[in-house]
Amino acid sequence: MIALLRQPGNARYAGVSALMVLLLTLAGCASTPTLAPELRRQLPPRVQLADVPFHGQRDYQCGPASLAMVLQAAGRGARVDALIPQVFLPGREGSVQPEMLATVRRHGLIPFRLPERYGALLAELAAGHPAVVMQNLALPAWPVWHYAVAIGYDRAAETLTLHTGMTPRREVDAARFDATWARSSRWAFVALPPGRLPASAGAETMLQAIADFETARGPRAALPAWRALVARHPEHAMARFALGNARHAVGDLAGARAAFRAATEADAELAPAWLNLGLLARQAGDNAAARRALKRAAALPGPWQPRARRALDEETDA
Amino acid sequence: MMKRLTRLLSPLLIAALVVGGLPAMAGAQPATTDLVSTGEALGAQAGHDDRAKIREILAREDVQRQLLLQGVAPAEVEERVAALSDAEARQMAERLDQLPAGASVVGALFAVFVILLVTDILGLTDVYPFTR
Repeated sequence: MIALLRQPGNARYAGVSALMVLLLTLAGCASTPTLAPELRRQLPPRVQLADVPFHGQRDYQCGPASLAMVLQAAGRGARVDALIPQVFLPGREGSVQPEMLATVRRHGLIPFRLPERYGALLAELAAGHPAVVMQNLALPAWPVWHYAVAIGYDRAAETLTLHTGMTPRREVDAARFDATWARSSRWAFVALPPGRLPASAGAETMLQAIADFETARGPRAALPAWRALVARHPEHAMARFALGNARHAVGDLAGARAAFRAATEADAELAPAWLNLGLLARQAGDNAAARRALKRAAALPGPWQPRARRALDEETDA
Repeated sequence: MMKRLTRLLSPLLIAALVVGGLPAMAGAQPATTDLVSTGEALGAQAGHDDRAKIREILAREDVQRQLLLQGVAPAEVEERVAALSDAEARQMAERLDQLPAGASVVGALFAVFVILLVTDILGLTDVYPFTR
């Protein structure tokens, strides 16, 4: 390529053909994103979240500005000035995705990553959740990475409404938006108070998001989120297990035992649930129940088996 | 003078330590029931072991160093790292320089300007507001 460019006659030819190839490969991206049939039935034709405040970005600070908008929409009093030292990376003149999520946790909200689909974004907006999206406004070779906040859509007009850059409520053509969003692998998240769950995320994603929040902010803060997850997915054994641990950490021992028992009912193979159930029964002096649960835990192969066997031995000796 | 002060203070200090130690010991009592934590259980499901845990700790130290290098105020660094999940800390430690940093500023190359102008008009990109 470089050799070709040194010859003036070839340079123009090479440039033109490179541009043509580039445009042809990209043309596939700029089509209006389609929705799954059931979403098409369920989603309202138009949504505008009127109460999401707007903050214009300064220089490179679309990250802190976008965060301020979603945090304030959820009732947190985070100012852009206070967010800049928390999320902005001076050396990169921008903000990176992991720290965008981490900063949400520092303000007591749970960041939930959304499935990489246009329909998921609309489902969140329909549920009243503004979403931070990452776009590459330019092309992969010369990226212009940008955060914006999606606050509404109009299906008939095929537009998405964004608080972006210096412009509040900008209506963007859905195809153009999707082309720029696809270049970040359709990265998006919602920031919700513990107890509220995203409309579109799967059980495993939510479980990990709440567990990460709990590690950063403690079980008392996470407890409402675990309760909400169990209500949404009563069949999910790990969710019930996590609820049991959070209840135990705040001193609700009876509630914790009930949750661990429910976890073993949802999945009889979940060894840590049997183990924790047995340990709590032993602490309560309920030795018969403790032995029963520990026996089940000790019979299941896996990383918890040695611990379960030890506890069972202590229990039989006692 | 110093001796008298010590003689006076020592019993007070001992008393303070004993009294202060009591609630801590009482508080530690329920912790004898050492349950499997949610993090441990999820980690085991994902196939993590003790070595993975050590790697997480090293990753966090690494991120701390990198944030300082990137010009983050030392007073902020610790809290920023603490808020990261294990996976995020790993991601930052391994490839911070490759992670896209949202900033929305266009480079000023003329050839790029022309190409982006065309792609903007085609609705593939969204760089120049005047194309709409």
